Amino acid sequence: MSLVKSLISLKPKSIYMIVNRDLDRFWKYRWWLAGLITMNLADLFIFAVLFNRIVNRELIPDYFLFIAPGITAIAAFASAFSIGREVGVEIRRGFTQYLLSLPISRLELAMGRVLSGVVRGMIYETPFLILLLILIKIPSPIEILYILAASILMTLTMSSLSIAISTSTRNFDMQATLRSFTYFILFFISNVFYPEKLIRVRFPGPLYYIASFNPISLTVSLYREIFGVSQQYPYLPEHILIFLFIWAITTTVSYTHLTLPTSDLV
Amino acid sequence: MIEFLRESLRQLYLLILYDVRKIFRYKIFILMRVAWFTVQVGFFAYLITAVVGQRFGAQATYYHFYLLGAYTSILFTITMFRGYEIAQEFEEGVIEYMLSLPIKRRILAIGRILGGSISSFFLSLPMFLIVIILLGGFEPIAILSAALSAYLFSIGVVGLSISIVFLLKSGDVTDIAFGMMDSLLVRLSTVFYPATILLSFLPYYYVGVSNPLSYLADFLRWIFYPSELGKYLIQDDPAKILFFLLGFSISLTTLATIFIEKRVEGGGWK
Repeated sequence: MSLVKSLISLKPKSIYMIVNRDLDRFWKYRWWLAGLITMNLADLFIFAVLFNRIVNRELIPDYFLFIAPGITAIAAFASAFSIGREVGVEIRRGFTQYLLSLPISRLELAMGRVLSGVVRGMIYETPFLILLLILIKIPSPIEILYILAASILMTLTMSSLSIAISTSTRNFDMQATLRSFTYFILFFISNVFYPEKLIRVRFPGPLYYIASFNPISLTVSLYREIFGVSQQYPYLPEHILIFLFIWAITTTVSYTHLTLPTSDLV
Repeated sequence: MIEFLRESLRQLYLLILYDVRKIFRYKIFILMRVAWFTVQVGFFAYLITAVVGQRFGAQATYYHFYLLGAYTSILFTITMFRGYEIAQEFEEGVIEYMLSLPIKRRILAIGRILGGSISSFFLSLPMFLIVIILLGGFEPIAILSAALSAYLFSIGVVGLSISIVFLLKSGDVTDIAFGMMDSLLVRLSTVFYPATILLSFLPYYYVGVSNPLSYLADFLRWIFYPSELGKYLIQDDPAKILFFLLGFSISLTTLATIFIEKRVEGGGWK
């Protein structure tokens, strides 16, 4: 009930100011962005192109097309996740105290930071999505809406998760280690590099469900379904969106409602 | 003369000790690395082997090929991390303090490179052991040769990372440069695919053939699976690979030493 009250009292202008400030800072890290883009493009135009020459064609006819939606989702994930790094740096430099002293509520500040992650993820993902449109096909308007919804929900989940990790401890090295660990777990235990059915055959236990219901895997499955790089995923795009919605709500509420009131770090 | 030599060796020993002692600060860091390396070799490598399907001779599959590449890439990442640490020392003023000590610049450079490479190698040891266990038992001489070649490689990489940090003198730019180098060099090497695959794209091949990661990964493959994986080396003769690794470590150590001796000044860190 208190959550509903808090949500009703939110001032959109305050949230907008936080998002705008974070977006402004995003462009200041252009070299960091260049590094991230290099990594994602290297995965696509070096790793995928070369690896395509040794894959089993019966399993994956074209590895480049198979991995392209995965790299797109990873790009959005990495960018949204980067907001956690920035929050961590601010905690280290004591800047968080200044933010907490501003005449805005904690929830507005937290929502602003989480939405900043979403905006970053969406901006960063756009060129990769355009690349998919050029390389594979142009989806129908409803399919584009599905793609956007999945991307927003996935980046919302990742943004909340990374900020929650950064605010869980004051130790900067520990924050960085925990973020890297989470990043790599989500990265490897997903369907970005291998087809769903292969994971089901080789790891037919809880690991399959972890890999399959990982928010990145869900997003990748939806992209693959829409772009026709089908992998016979057992769920419809609508189901995938429901799963992603559950993830987004769970992580955002956990961060804003459970972590926030007990932490002096935002 | 003997007194001078003794004093230089003592200073060198203290510098090496300084870096090696820092290993104990990284308990959580190493625990996390081991955890995600386990996921990488236990989940990613296992599935990606199924995606490849192709065998590399009678005994080896892609799994064997990739494990040695994965160790090379983790050793490279851990060793490059020395650069981040030195960047942090710059921020905290430790480098200026070291430059002001009555230690010859040459000794300082060599000491930091040897100390950094020893600690990097020790930090990578759990991953090395995981790979050895997963590949199965081997002759002690093969394990020793692999460890020595890995150490030789890390000397060169520390030299490289120190040169970059001292050249850039900026925490943010160092961070980005290392990230870009890591992602490009790992992918443009034989870590994931044999040299023959790189050959299908000549620009990629030229980078791969001058990339130290290709040489360590292939040398390890030759040590453990000479008849199966020995056919896919970046150079046909393993002796050439060893000479490359030797040349890489000597030249990068020399470069970093000259750099610290002739050009480095305190201050100016951005």
